[in-house]
Amino acid sequence: MNDFNYTRVYSMDEALANVSLGKGHRVIAGGTNLIDLMKYFITTADELVDINPISEHQTIEELPDGRLRLGAFATNADTAYHPLVESRYPLLNRAILAGASAQIRNMATNGGNLLQRTRCYYFYDINTPCNKREPGTGCSAINGYNRTMAIMGTSEHCIAVFPSDMCVALAALDAVVNIVGPEGTRQLPFADFHRLPGNTPHIDNNLMDNELISSIDLPEKGFSSSYSYLKLRDRNSYAFALVSVATALDLEHGLIKEARIALGGLAHKPWRVQEAEDFLKGKQASKTNFEAAADLILQGAKSFEFNAFKIELAKRAIVRNCMMALDPDTQQPGAQPSL
Amino acid sequence: MEEKNKSIGKAITRIDGLLKVTGKATYATDYPAKNMAYAVLFKSTIASGQITAIDSAAAEKSPGVLKVITHKNTPKLNIKGGLRGGALLQGSEIHFYGQHIGIVVAETFEQATHAARLVQVSYEEKAGKIDFDELAKDAVKPKGQELADQIRGDAKKALGEAAVKVEETYETPIEHHHPMEPHSTIAVWEGENVILYNGSQIINGAQSSAAATLNLKPENVRIVSPYIGGGFGSKGGQWANLVLTAVAAKVTGRPVKLALTRQQMFNSVGLRQRNIQKVSLGATKEGKLISISHETTTHSAIDSEYIEPCGDCTKIMYDAPNSLISYRVVPMNVILPTYTRGPGKSTGSFALESAMDELAHKLGIDPIELRIKNEPEKDPSNGKPWSSRKTVQCLQEGAKAFGWEKRNAIPGQTKAGNYLIGYGVACGTYPARQRDSSAIIKLKRSGSQVTATIELAASDLGTGTNTILAQVAADGLDLPIGNITVNIGDSDLPPAAGSVGSVGAASFANAVNDACIKITNELIAKSDKQFFVRPTARQMMISEQTLDFQTRADAKAPSNTDQYSTHSFNANFAEVKVNIATGMVKVTRFLAATGAGKILNPKTARSQIIGGNIWGIGMALSEESIIDPRYGNFATRSFGDYHVPSNLDVGKLDAMFINEEDFIPNKLGIKGIGEVGIVGVAAAIANAVFNATGKRIRSLPITPDKLL
Ligand SMILES: Cc1cc2nc3c(=O)[nH]c(=O)nc-3n(C[C@H](O)[C@H](O)[C@H](O)COP(=O)(O)OP(=O)(O)OC[C@H]3O[C@@H](n4cnc5c(N)ncnc54)[C@H](O)[C@@H]3O)c2cc1C
Ligand code: SF4
Repeated sequence: MNDFNYTRVYSMDEALANVSLGKGHRVIAGGTNLIDLMKYFITTADELVDINPISEHQTIEELPDGRLRLGAFATNADTAYHPLVESRYPLLNRAILAGASAQIRNMATNGGNLLQRTRCYYFYDINTPCNKREPGTGCSAINGYNRTMAIMGTSEHCIAVFPSDMCVALAALDAVVNIVGPEGTRQLPFADFHRLPGNTPHIDNNLMDNELISSIDLPEKGFSSSYSYLKLRDRNSYAFALVSVATALDLEHGLIKEARIALGGLAHKPWRVQEAEDFLKGKQASKTNFEAAADLILQGAKSFEFNAFKIELAKRAIVRNCMMALDPDTQQPGAQPSL
Repeated sequence: MEEKNKSIGKAITRIDGLLKVTGKATYATDYPAKNMAYAVLFKSTIASGQITAIDSAAAEKSPGVLKVITHKNTPKLNIKGGLRGGALLQGSEIHFYGQHIGIVVAETFEQATHAARLVQVSYEEKAGKIDFDELAKDAVKPKGQELADQIRGDAKKALGEAAVKVEETYETPIEHHHPMEPHSTIAVWEGENVILYNGSQIINGAQSSAAATLNLKPENVRIVSPYIGGGFGSKGGQWANLVLTAVAAKVTGRPVKLALTRQQMFNSVGLRQRNIQKVSLGATKEGKLISISHETTTHSAIDSEYIEPCGDCTKIMYDAPNSLISYRVVPMNVILPTYTRGPGKSTGSFALESAMDELAHKLGIDPIELRIKNEPEKDPSNGKPWSSRKTVQCLQEGAKAFGWEKRNAIPGQTKAGNYLIGYGVACGTYPARQRDSSAIIKLKRSGSQVTATIELAASDLGTGTNTILAQVAADGLDLPIGNITVNIGDSDLPPAAGSVGSVGAASFANAVNDACIKITNELIAKSDKQFFVRPTARQMMISEQTLDFQTRADAKAPSNTDQYSTHSFNANFAEVKVNIATGMVKVTRFLAATGAGKILNPKTARSQIIGGNIWGIGMALSEESIIDPRYGNFATRSFGDYHVPSNLDVGKLDAMFINEEDFIPNKLGIKGIGEVGIVGVAAAIANAVFNATGKRIRSLPITPDKLL
């Protein structure tokens, strides 16, 4: 990594003042992604601004109107095991625990999780072209080893996948991201937070360089009766998803009142398809209907040399996960993969 | 001495365990040196061609930098000195991506790392030979005689006449060793002599190859390696980083530390090569094999050849009058492959034992019965008698313990919830050998307390060498194990074999045992008393009031071994569950039944076997290194992408040892267990996956996409 200065900040104002000084000023939270990126010279920084001493945004709090606010600086582990998350948003608990390892989850923060960068092999190899790392150099993955890459929402400039598990559940739960910047605060619905690569693959999301995430809000409705998170990967722990699915269902007399299906490992952002969710509304919670929904979700899928399997795998994962959502007994404790 | 007091055969906890878990065991980089400087390697970013210029001006001016070393200023080294893989900075030629092209030495590691980035290298790139899928067709006969075609009878003709045939191709990917301790060295010069602290599976081999490469005499080089954080073959032969550390220390006049990064490990210290293996089996309707052939195509480096012997198991496992074993190799711009746990046997057994399973299925015979039917009375490759072979017992006793009778022979039938359950079996073997080794024993007495120090240049990969040698000495000298100190891992000590090829335990223990016998004899001879019952060394030290006594034994490998075929054998049993919807596989139970002679310590032996099993699980299900043929670099370059098994991937493991007395390969009855634990594992799992799903996966690893 390059030489850098290190500053601890104690308030959001101080942090904002610091990051507004320019690109070389980067926030460090848990450091689990940033330090790796710096070690491999993918990211450089002149000044690391350590936000951990800030006393705000460290906790999980219920708001008067029933929403749950996840502090951006709270750790993934504290969030997953928070009693209200466990009881009301078990889908989020499952998704967080499906990610990384216990050690990493103890360090990683919620804000950092939203901002983690892709795991594309070539993004991590500074000796290969990569539009995300160095705009305009080309994409090594499109004609390269693209087994783990995206099949939805790709562009000719980048086919990388956003690797988070937590965010797949946040997308399904219709979370809202709270942002503070020099002009004050603003909110982004989760669906609008991450971006597709288009012709600007170097921009992962709609957070500005001079802004910070302060927290993430969850609507009161937590889908705690019918939910499931399924992560398919090359080993049972400590591997990123080939495909992951978060399903949340609201059932009434065997009929689906509301369905949320979000996918990870398939696109540059957590993937939801309104048409499929609308299709399920009012229908029976049956395998046939879930299959039809899966087809709707995957209808625009486009695969590359090594990842065609992801289309079939995703279809099966969606159907399987929706079936599991009907039976919460399929959810195993801790980091154990669901059955 | 009464049997109950014996130490050999007891499940004794590692004597160095406490040191290790408290961080007190000194691995290579743990040695302090005054005024240490830090070296960082930089590597080529092309796979083939020539360096045309290196501009190191900015690096040299960077804070803390002492020296930038490239092929332009590296002293002349002997490239034929016995190190593996080249990359000794002796020329501008590039043979593979990630070849070392220089070293930065600085006051701190961070300064060296930073400066290494500032070096500008220009190349003239040539089209490299990188794409094995393209190149495999150009493979030719190997240079090495031991890998010439081995032909008995006429395998092709017999296959043509066989009632039932299996002719299939099996593929295994590049794998990396990835020991926990990356290869690291500290070099300290004292005049013309250099001390190299360096994890070394073969202490004397590291010494001689480093000396020869540095144009020194062996006695000018001392290797210190009391603990090794794993090696799996990659620390058997040594690589350029060992000697380049000595060079860096010489040219800077400072002690230098050089540790490879995990990413550098992918192209610095060898790999297990990719293999395409065609296995053809021909049998009678009754299941008697009449033809076996095993044809392997693989790759090696541009400038030297190493081929893992995938046909080795096939040579000896089954009785068939006609057989063909062959190898074809294509040189590639990829780092030299090297010995990797169970070299040839682990990958070869995947092909052979999968094919046997396919044959059993075609014949409608239980795979255990098929193997027993073809059990050879003598080594089919050379007609020699077995010193011992317990394959049938491994299969039968293993089957009983595993509950094999519960297996449904029809694949795809056993369901439990959303899973298909399958059982698989596969055999394995590894040669039992012993090499010459010497050992010194030093006895000391204080009152009625006798203590012993054992000294030899043995190595401990983390397997428990120290512990078993203390056990052998305890019994040989009639002392409690706590009174034994074991000093190993130093080339100043008497020369010994290495922890390679499963020869370690047999060779080291034999030397210690010989030294125990010799020291007892000498103590008796020294005394003027007569004894009706042979006294022990401890008794002699006490009765003769001796304060200090020492001796050295130079133990030779037994001379009659050549008349026999000496191997360890195993049978592996796997139970898997495969998710019907998603193809995710989990090995829920695994049992290895092993016949490996005398088990010195059931605890460390079990660790060895299950360690091999776990790597076998990785080999079967998840481990694979992928080269991007456009660049020549690995696309998968971290533990995030190279999937060694995690705890959640490993189900219940059981190691079972078949009682075996065999004093032919070794006087103590030791056959060696280091490698055999991985042999047959991948096949047992692949066979279980077939039994579960009806899908035969002939290309490892069995990732979910292959089962859709
Ligand atoms: C080996 C490994 C395996 C992993 N496996 C998984 C997995 O399976 N699934 C998964 O979901 N994740 C996985 N992760 C990723 C892990 O979840 C992220 O690294 C982590 O969530 C990042 O959080 P952090 O606090 O450490 O972020 P940092 O590394 O500190 O920061 C990441 C980025 O976010 C910025 N940042 C941080 N907080 C804020 C804020 N509040 N406002 C503005 N900017 C901010 C930083 O400037 C930086 O650019 C893995 C990571 C590793 C290292
Ligand atoms: S997919 Fe995106 S991140 Fe990967 S190489 Fe292409 S541009 Fe870079």
